[in-house]
Order: sequence, then structure tokens, then C-alpha cells
Amino acid sequence: MSNGFVNEPMLDLFIFESMQLIEQMESLIIANERSGFYTSDAINEIFRIMHTIKGSSAMMLFNTISTLAHSMEDLFFVLREDKPQNVDYTDLSDLVFEGLDFIKVEIHKIRNGDEADGNPSELINSLRVFQASIKGQDSSPEAMNFAGQTDSHENPSPEKQQYYISKVSRETTSLQNTFQATLRFEPDCGMENLRAFGVVNDLGDLMEEYYHVPEDLDHEDSARAIGEQGFTLFLKTDRSWEEIHRVLIQTIYLKDLQLTQAQNSDLLNNQDLERKILLEDSSDKVSDSSNRDRVTRDFEGKEIHSAVTQQSIINVSVAKLDQLMDLVGEMVIAEAMVIQNPDLNGLELDNFQKAARQLRKITSEMQDMVMAIRMVPLTATFHKMHRIVRDMGKKLGKEVQLEIIGEETEVDKNIIEHISDPLMHLVRNALDHGIESAEDRQAKGKVQGGTISLEAKNAGSDVLVIVKDDGKGLSKDRILKKARENGLLYKSEGDMTDKEIFNLIFLPGFSTKDSVSEFSGRGVGMDVVTKNIETVGGSVSIASTLDKGTTITLAIPLTLAIIDGMNIKVGNSRYTIPIISIKESFRPKEEDIITDPDSHEMIMVRGRCYPILRLHELYGVKTEIIDFVDGIIIMVEHDKKSLCVFADELLGQQQVVVKALPEYIQRLKKISGLTGCTLLGDGSISLILDTAGLISL
Amino acid sequence: MKKLLIVDDEAFMRLTIRNMMNHYDIEIVGEAANGVIGVEMYKEFRPDVVTMDITMPEMTGIEALKKIKAFDPQAKVIMLSSLGEEGMVIEAIRSGAKTFIVKPFKEKFFNQIIYDVLGI
Repeated sequence: MSNGFVNEPMLDLFIFESMQLIEQMESLIIANERSGFYTSDAINEIFRIMHTIKGSSAMMLFNTISTLAHSMEDLFFVLREDKPQNVDYTDLSDLVFEGLDFIKVEIHKIRNGDEADGNPSELINSLRVFQASIKGQDSSPEAMNFAGQTDSHENPSPEKQQYYISKVSRETTSLQNTFQATLRFEPDCGMENLRAFGVVNDLGDLMEEYYHVPEDLDHEDSARAIGEQGFTLFLKTDRSWEEIHRVLIQTIYLKDLQLTQAQNSDLLNNQDLERKILLEDSSDKVSDSSNRDRVTRDFEGKEIHSAVTQQSIINVSVAKLDQLMDLVGEMVIAEAMVIQNPDLNGLELDNFQKAARQLRKITSEMQDMVMAIRMVPLTATFHKMHRIVRDMGKKLGKEVQLEIIGEETEVDKNIIEHISDPLMHLVRNALDHGIESAEDRQAKGKVQGGTISLEAKNAGSDVLVIVKDDGKGLSKDRILKKARENGLLYKSEGDMTDKEIFNLIFLPGFSTKDSVSEFSGRGVGMDVVTKNIETVGGSVSIASTLDKGTTITLAIPLTLAIIDGMNIKVGNSRYTIPIISIKESFRPKEEDIITDPDSHEMIMVRGRCYPILRLHELYGVKTEIIDFVDGIIIMVEHDKKSLCVFADELLGQQQVVVKALPEYIQRLKKISGLTGCTLLGDGSISLILDTAGLISL
Repeated sequence: MKKLLIVDDEAFMRLTIRNMMNHYDIEIVGEAANGVIGVEMYKEFRPDVVTMDITMPEMTGIEALKKIKAFDPQAKVIMLSSLGEEGMVIEAIRSGAKTFIVKPFKEKFFNQIIYDVLGI
């Protein structure tokens, strides 16, 4: 980037807006492709998007992108104006997608700080061939002779540019001067021909008659001619030299002006004053200006569902939101430090309590607000899948429909980033391994086209994302066989429930597909999905019926940063258990405790037996309280499994800010059962327990 | 202090212009993301000069130009055009646009055009 003024935020904005436009265009194409043709609204919109991308990438000097966008714009211009009938819209979509992919790759390079050095000439060529084919011209590349040309100035413009610049002849007055004006514009100011037109327009009523060289003001050639030789205007007027000079000297980008009184007043004779200026194709009677104008009117009054930045919406970088989040987190801790300050113990402070209540209310409202700001609907993530389903379905020869339910469900921005890849993996899997070929489906008596549905919904403090297919389902025998081969079985096959068998596929090193395909099964298994989801504190579950289909459910917490927790004490240590997973807490009775021959301790609650976990033993904490009757039992539940945690006492419920364990601890060793830590009001550190981790111990 | 209003649907272009505009005596009084808001902002701020993108959703630059000119015949509007928009540029000039600038443009050109239009 040689542009001196280009800076980081500008580049970010360029990338952000371009990607948004591309996404918007992709969903437009997918939506239209399904109906077999493009609506004129869609064509207009795509034209506008390409036009915008062309303009902004040219500003940033990303020529590869702008030339390609220009070609696509041209193609859609033809589609819009000529409304050709013989268009193969599937080919068109493929072509446009290829182009978008190219632009995406270039933008990706730019984002990584690399040179955007792709070569779009091949793509541009295909676009031109396609464009020629819909216009019914000879479409062989030789005939087109466009290969390798990337400079838009060199390309014969496919748009029939033609407009009328007319001038009504006025009655002549007796007092007339004839002037010759020669104007030169600043080099590279662009569209010199139209600047000349502007000059003529500015003079307007001051002139009685006029004639200019070059004559055609709308030809790109005349732009070049004016650039090289200047623009000469002969005019008849009843105004003085000074008046004309005053108007002309105001011309923008004027480099040089010569205005002289002409000797030969016949200069203007025999000039047709109605000048019709045509470009290449003079048979076309549609004027460009009215064409564009029509589009203008089309745009008006129509709701355009676009990613246009509206005045009431601003874009904020996620980094700033993260900072804000951290600050609010600090504030929550500070609030706790003030309100639960040990210095206040035993004091009767009515006014303080009142003020504290107010503070707590505002802090929690602020927290909710910050959370709400970070929430983003899953729409974009879900709609990306359309493209995958389309491309893969085509390659694999499977007819698959993607159903999207609840795309408006919102989750934290950070979480979206973490689930995008797993979701793509799941959809690919469903298409590749789940949905059968059309023949197989017919043989089974199913409808020929398969369906994959993506659903999102809120459930408590979790968001459920469900990927469902109506394919062949998981084969338990094959999973068990594979697990046996890879030595992944952890208990005897007969003892395993369906769920446990299905869960085997989430283990690292498991992959049932024997042949590796282009899309899935490249050694990246389902374990990656689990890992990604678990990073954000979510869980994956699976259900499947043979020949009916498979359902994979991702349960993801709404937000990561602040949770409602119950603080407990063991010896001098504090722990926090997420409220959401606590079922009950109680002081146990001696007679309910059972110890089995292997000295596993259990407790009987309402006729059911639950294992007990002594926290002080697990984490090696010194405590006085080792008899169950002296302490407290907290029953936690995760994924329908329960566990009783034994601790000294409950300290109370509080919102806590989840902080990751310091890196040096993470490096040292993996501590099971902990998700992070938090700071309590009295300044002590509390470790946040991971219920799922504890149960699987 | 001269007042400049930017009307462009792309935040990227608005930022570009903001970055390019470096005269101590020119203040950017507003940024409008479409023609409708542009016209409203013109009425509110009465800027000395307006940069107006041609292709915008909701209301195109040409329509906005016409509305602004109808409100204030003295309005100085500079159109931002790209190659391929010659027809629109002609219409803009007919409708009273002061001049136009062709994208992509350089900082120097941009400032010059603003100075020329403002006569500073």
C-alpha cells in the first residue's frame, strides 16, 4: 500500500464492510438460485454491491479486487439492462461464487498483511465469455480477445454508453462576441470529457451558440484527447470577455485557460446545435443516463435489507467491548469489596445499606447491558452454511435442503467465533456421512432430497444449537467395531448405553468413514468439535436412530464472563459452584452415609444413592471438618448425572467474574474440575468448580 | 470555519474523506449514511460544501442533490463518482452539482477540489 493516508482503522473498515457486502451477496444468490432465476431486485442489489466494492478497493489500491469487481458489475449491468432470457443461472451462480471466493482470498491476504497478488484475469475472462454468451455473441475467447487485459481503460466498455447532450438554440441578438476558449485540466483528474461538459453547462445561458473540440464529450477517447490537447470551445455571446473569463476561471481542476476573441465569426456556422453523441453501438436507443436514472427510481421507496450502516447504529471493535467487559467485571468485584467490607461487620448502617442496594442494582443493570451489547444473532453463522450445503451437495451429487430455525437467537460474540467452525464441521459431516445418495434413499422409501436442519433456541442460561439430518443415522455396530480397533473402549460393550456408544465418536482418534473425502474425514474428527465447544464451557450431545437420522445438540452458555455462583469454604480455601448446576444443599445425617467394600462413600437421599466427593481430599486442603455431619453436602448435576460435594460451609450466593487460571498454573499441570478462578469481595481468591469435570472424575 | 458534510453509504469512504480532509479551517459537521439523512443534515447544519456519493441505497446521490438544491439553490455539492457512472455525472451537473471527483482519488486532488469550491 503506497497510499500515505491509509491507516489501520480504514483498512479494518474496508475489510469489514467488504466482507459484510460479500456475505449479503452470497445469501442473495443462494436465495435466488433456489427459485431458478434472479429477481430484478437481486440483480440491482448485486450490481450495487459490486459497484461499491469496486470503488472502495480502487481507493485502497487493491487493483486485483477492483478489476474483478468491475467485470462482475459489467455482467450484472448487462443482466439488468438487456434482461436476457437464455441465462443459465446455475452457471452464473458458480461463476459469481468463484469471483467472490477470489475476493475473499484477496481480502484474507490483506488482513494478514500480505500483498493481494492474485491474478483475476482467468476469472475475468470467464465472466466475459459468459457475458458474451448471454448476449448471443461468439463466445470463444479468441473472438473476445480480452485475455490478460486488466486495465479497465483498455477494455471496450460493454456498457453502451450513450447520452444526449443537447442545447436548445436561442434567438440571436445583434450584439455578439465570438470567443475561443482553450482549457487544460490537471492531469489525472479523471473524466475530463465530463469536466468539459461541466464547463459548457456552467456557461449555460451566457452563450448564444457554441461549438467545441472534441465534439463528442461522452467518449472515453475524448477524455484522453482533452487530457492531452485540452478542450477548445468556440462560443457566441452577448457578454463581455471579463464575464466569460470569470466563469471559466472558476472551473475546478483548471490548470490553464486561454480565452481570446475569435476573428472568424463564421466558426459556428453550419454546426448542428442538437448534438447527439453516441458510443460504440449506435443502434441502441436507450440512453445511459435514463437507464441509471431508472435504477435510481427503483432503489427509491424500496426497503433494502442490506448491511448498510444506519445512522442509529455504530460499529465498535470487539477489543473495546472486551475491555468494557473486563472493567465491568472489576466493578462487580469492587462493589463486593465495598459492600462486604470486613470493616463494616457488626455495624448498623441503614443509610449505607440503602446506598449499597442502589449501587448493586445499577451494577447489575450495567452488567446486563454490557452483556446485551455483546450479543449477536446467529443469523450470519447459520446462513454461511447455505453455501456449504450447496457446494457440497453439488460435488457429492446429493440433493439436500438446509432448514434454518431460530436464527435470530443471540449469543455472545466470543462464543459465535468458537462455534462457527464446529458447526461447519457438523454440517459437513451430516452431508457427507449422514445423508444417503438419492438411490439409497429411494430404496429405503425416503423422499429423494435429504434435509439438514439447523436450529437455535434458548434454554435456561444455555443456548441450544441443534444440527439434525434425516440420513442413515449412526450404526452402533460400526462405532463399536471402530472403537475396538482403535482401543477406545473403556468398558465392556454389553454395559454401554446407546448414549455412551454414540459418545465414542467424540473421542480423539475416532473416525468411522473408511474413505477420506474432500469435505470431511480428513483426520479432523468430532473431537475437535467437542474441544471447541468445551472451550466456551458448552457441551455436545448426540442422539441417533438408524435410518431415521442423527441429531447433535450443542449446549452453549449464553455468556462466559459473569456467572451466579455459590461460594463455599473448605479449610482456608474458597470455591465457587455455578448456581445453575446446584440441585440442593443440606447437612447430612450419619445414618444416610453408606460406605461400600472399596471404601467408596455414598449418601442415600430420598431412596437414591449418590457418590460423595470430599473436596478437601481432592485438592489436598487441610481442614478440621472431616466428619460429614459437621459439614455440608452440595448436590450438583450435569447432563443428568449427579454428585454430592462435601465442603465445610456455605458462604453465600454472589455474582462472580470468571477469570482464566493464570498461565503458569495451566502450564504446570492440568487441574481437573476447575474452570477458572475469581476474586471475592474480601479480596480472597476463589476457585470455580467445573461440575462436568467433577462428575467425570 | 467552513463546514463540510459527507454523504456516503460506506463508512470506509467517510473515514477516507475524514482522513484526507486536513485543512485547519474546515470542519466536518456531519456524516450521513444515505441520501435521506444527508438532506436532513444539510437543512440542519447548512454546510458550505457537501461531498455526495452517487450510488447509495434509500435515496441516491442525485435525488439528494436535487432535494438539497431545491432547499438551497446556492448549495455547493461535489459528487463522488466512479468510472461507469458518466451518465449519472451528467445528470448531476445538470441538476446543479458544483463539480465531481472520480474514485479512486488522491488526497491532493480531494483537498484541491474542496479549496476550489470553497474559494480558499
